[in-house]
Amino acid sequence: MTNEPTSPANPASDEPSVAEGTRVDPKLLEILVCPLTKANLEYDAARQELISRPAKLAYPIRDGIPIMLPEEARSIE
Amino acid sequence: MTPANDLTHFGFSEVPLDEKQTLVNDVFHKVARRYDVMNDLMSGGLHRAWKNALVSSLRPPRNRPFAHLDVAGGTGDVAFRVLDAGGDQTRVTVLDINGDMLEVGKDRAGTRYGDRITFVAGNAEALPFGDREFDAYTVVFGIRNVPRIDKALAEAYRVLKRGGRLLCLEFSHVDVPGADAIYRAYSFNVIPAVGRMVTGDAEPYRYLVESIRRFPTPQAFSTMLEDAGFRSVSYRPMTLGVVALHSAWKL
Repeated sequence: MTNEPTSPANPASDEPSVAEGTRVDPKLLEILVCPLTKANLEYDAARQELISRPAKLAYPIRDGIPIMLPEEARSIE
Repeated sequence: MTPANDLTHFGFSEVPLDEKQTLVNDVFHKVARRYDVMNDLMSGGLHRAWKNALVSSLRPPRNRPFAHLDVAGGTGDVAFRVLDAGGDQTRVTVLDINGDMLEVGKDRAGTRYGDRITFVAGNAEALPFGDREFDAYTVVFGIRNVPRIDKALAEAYRVLKRGGRLLCLEFSHVDVPGADAIYRAYSFNVIPAVGRMVTGDAEPYRYLVESIRRFPTPQAFSTMLEDAGFRSVSYRPMTLGVVALHSAWKL
């Protein structure tokens, strides 16, 4: 797990511009894995995505809720 | 692997396995906001007693860490009860495949439980959690809606710690003569009509009623739990067998 944004939406700041209350619980991030590969995820705080490299998918986080459904994930290369 | 075009039950209709999830999702999108009101109306408030019985049986510890996973519990109804019964170190993760239900639950939780409650969208058949993360797993009136129940039970087993417990509350089969006929008439006639009155649509409730009749008997479901690796599997019928509380351990 890394907190380093892979592609910051706001390069001027290290802090993600995410409103308080929509942040994901850090303890939750520790136990989440990719539902397809069960691999650990990278947290992209700026884009609010959880990235599974083996599955080449970025799972969105909406209103602080991780959407761990492959059909809702974005394909990445 | 199961071919994608295998048929499964959607109520009494036969539908392709992959289509069932979409159809089930549609049902819950339609009713998310009024789901708990409908549960009150349809069960005459009994669902509260059933859920309380489940939490009494679970008995979350008040003074040590307890990691709980509630599957298909989007509106938070079961999670709040577990948190109220447990201590400061009881944490509940609510998983639901339906984002609308999770929104309802998150709104209702507000800030009163702080970070003791978290919401995740996910599929019971492919849980987004590591192995042996949870002390307990509950699924309340949800397993019936999962297309491949055996997969969901295997996943439940995987994410539980050794010594962890699964509790499942599900509709069952009324086996008292006479009561069965009344329950059948009630469920096929009254429930869809009430559903239409409250949500403007009888169809989701027709599905719910049919899916209840199609769900395996408590004995058959117990065998499925054992096949998934669970031990000390038991169940307790409640309200003349309208529902059954299933208990199983990962030893």
